[in-house]
Amino acid sequence: MKNTLRVQRAIKNITQADLADAIGVSRQTINTIESNKYVPSTVLALKIARVFGKPVEEIFTLDDED
Amino acid sequence: MKPYLLFPYKARFVGLALIAAHVPVRAIWEAINPDIDQSHRLPVNPGDSLLFTNSHLFFIASTVLVLSGLFLIAFSKEKVEDEQISKLRLDCLQWAIYLNYFLLTLSVIFTNGINFTDVLRLNLWVPLLFFIIRFRWVIYWLGRPVNQENL
Repeated sequence: MKNTLRVQRAIKNITQADLADAIGVSRQTINTIESNKYVPSTVLALKIARVFGKPVEEIFTLDDED
Repeated sequence: MKPYLLFPYKARFVGLALIAAHVPVRAIWEAINPDIDQSHRLPVNPGDSLLFTNSHLFFIASTVLVLSGLFLIAFSKEKVEDEQISKLRLDCLQWAIYLNYFLLTLSVIFTNGINFTDVLRLNLWVPLLFFIIRFRWVIYWLGRPVNQENL
């Protein structure tokens, strides 16, 4: 699964730590999601989408391998 | 792993303290009783009575102390216990169980008699120690890019 988390953060001008605090996870988890090492649960994906005020599909999209 | 089944974050330091406290006590006891390694073996014959001697009681106490320490270190929460940490915890626990049963299978094949108690003792420590080492290593490895990027 691909994501545009880094871009969305840049648009909203927030750091990994800010996003992590907003959704109650560690900064390390945000970093691994951004680098596609970790696929978040549906709940976490929805929380992230809520922070950016966008639908989940705008942030997370299926990869060809999925 | 469900967070409510874990110990609080600070319990890890209690675990470290228990293990640290065990080291000098054990060293002093071994200095006084050089034959301690033989003192806690199970009796070979039914008539032998090596259980609940002073040395055996000390062995039980020190083993329970270290096991409790390792247990607290292994199963205390991280500062931020999120879903990724839970997933890593389960993954490491799975590896620890695999290794444990691999060693157990080897021991069933290659040992018998009194050696079997040594193997049981090995299996007492392997899952916890391997779990702790792998879990800490994976967390360190995942944390490195964050520190480098300094975002």
